[in-house]
Amino acid sequence: MHLDAFDLHQPTSVEEALALAQRHAGKFDFLAGGTDLLPNYKMHLNVRPHLISLDHVAELRAFRPEAGWLGATVRLRNLEGSSTLRRRYPGIAEAAEEIATPLVRASGTVGGNLLVETRCFFFNQSYPWRQALGFCLKADGDQCHVVPQKTRCYATFSGDLAPALMVLDAHAEIAGPGGRRRVAVADLYDPKGDGVRRTKLGPGELLVGVQIPPGAEHLKAKYSKLRVRPSFDFPELGVAVALEEKGGKVARLEIALGGLETYPRLMRAQTSPLVGERLTEERVKALSEDLVKAVRPVHNTFLAPDYRRKMTGVYVRRAIGALRSGS
Amino acid sequence: MPKKVPVRLRVNGEEHELHLPPQRILLDVLREELNLTGTKRGCDLGTCGCCTILVDGEPRLSCLMLAKLAEGHQLTTVEGISPAGALHPVQKAFIDLGATQCGFCTPGFIVTAVAFLRDHPGATRDEISRALSGNLCRCTGYVKILDAVEAAARTLAPAQER
Ligand SMILES: Cc1cc2nc3c(=O)[nH]c(=O)nc-3n(C[C@H](O)[C@H](O)[C@H](O)COP(=O)(O)OP(=O)(O)OC[C@H]3O[C@@H](n4cnc5c(N)ncnc54)[C@H](O)[C@@H]3O)c2cc1C
Ligand code: SF4
Ligand code: FES
Ligand code: FES
Repeated sequence: MHLDAFDLHQPTSVEEALALAQRHAGKFDFLAGGTDLLPNYKMHLNVRPHLISLDHVAELRAFRPEAGWLGATVRLRNLEGSSTLRRRYPGIAEAAEEIATPLVRASGTVGGNLLVETRCFFFNQSYPWRQALGFCLKADGDQCHVVPQKTRCYATFSGDLAPALMVLDAHAEIAGPGGRRRVAVADLYDPKGDGVRRTKLGPGELLVGVQIPPGAEHLKAKYSKLRVRPSFDFPELGVAVALEEKGGKVARLEIALGGLETYPRLMRAQTSPLVGERLTEERVKALSEDLVKAVRPVHNTFLAPDYRRKMTGVYVRRAIGALRSGS
Repeated sequence: MPKKVPVRLRVNGEEHELHLPPQRILLDVLREELNLTGTKRGCDLGTCGCCTILVDGEPRLSCLMLAKLAEGHQLTTVEGISPAGALHPVQKAFIDLGATQCGFCTPGFIVTAVAFLRDHPGATRDEISRALSGNLCRCTGYVKILDAVEAAARTLAPAQER
């Protein structure tokens, strides 16, 4: 498969990358590991005439798990290989080692994973395939084949790291024309968006890295993933749980879900009423049922939406059980 | 005329000065410009592992790498895994145990296995199978591939543990 022609830029600093982004506004993509972008480019999905490689931007490579800092171009392989990260943030290590294959993880990065393109049967297809069916809203067309209408795309967010970071209240550092800012990872995504633009990053904004706040290392945390081939596939469901109990009562409980909708979601509305309560079996069951009711997967991945919803409840109950029994 | 940029690649210890469009993929350049056809193009999308090469000693998918971005790195293809005329113990084990059928996936498996056993001499079958989980084979059913890599691990372990 051949790529359409583009100019390749190789900045050596965040400032230079941002200047290039401004010069080629609307006509570029950042390139990190390329394991998401290049397959999409090969299928001629939303190709741009400029690529800005982040390979030579040293600042983005900083990896300080002892201080909770993960630079945007830290490789997924480095996450799974770090004993400090595994000890402090087991949920992140679990999510990282379940992404794709060892070969993809050798190239794929933290930033690329958070900003990974959403997926759909009708999108991740070759150009002739898509042309034969009629292009869709997300690339080259104007209507959705999954939920027939012309305004919103329902492609599925299939990144594994986001939920694991969201339950720890990690923040993303973003650099843009207006300077630097930090937002909660949960707020990188826009549940009210049209699903075509997949994050709230402004035009020309660059993800610098992720900061996990002090104290998060004391939470018990877990990530579990439902997929078709356990050594390979994108999540059909990703469940991250973080829990702290004090004196037998919930001091903190966070649950984030990925692989179900267009955005990963932090389920505070369902978990916050449990703070200060004892986690009885009935309460865990009721919580899992609330979560099943709250999610709306559509049929654009391998497994049926109903099954993914049911498994959401099962995975949440199992994860909480495992965290409490220390397994 | 499409725009071209200078690209300097170091492959199997040899320097190559090329002029290529910036969008050229490393796999295509290895096969089509340097005639190193041992590295195979399977899916071309990151799923099969047939295109695996070593970049600074680490297995990477050459189908998802721009040739220009491989500058400054040491690239090793299956042709450079062992000295000319000699076989790496992994290659020898593949032959001895019949671990190939059509052979299309073989270079990718060998490159991945060589790097893994270098870092994990004496690895167990389970560890080997996890390390090779990004390489697909449509013929063998994997049993003989795992047998071969396990046998190579046993050959390599005593030598490397000293
Ligand atoms: C076979 C296969 C299986 C896969 N399975 C999984 C899986 O199970 N789970 C999963 O989560 N992913 C999976 N992926 C997708 C992908 O490999 C990972 O999500 C990976 O982490 C992406 O990182 P990258 O650096 O390669 O991203 P890239 O492809 O370089 O970039 C992805 C997107 O993010 C943007 N971007 C990257 N970095 C920045 C930055 N710092 N600032 C602003 N924008 C940026 C790019 O412009 C692009 O739009 C799979 C891919 C393949 C090929
Ligand atoms: S959900 Fe609809 S618009 Fe989005 S990628 Fe699929 S078919 Fe296209
Ligand atoms: S050809 Fe590169 S992974 Fe299949
Ligand atoms: S031997 Fe044919 S694909 Fe593996």
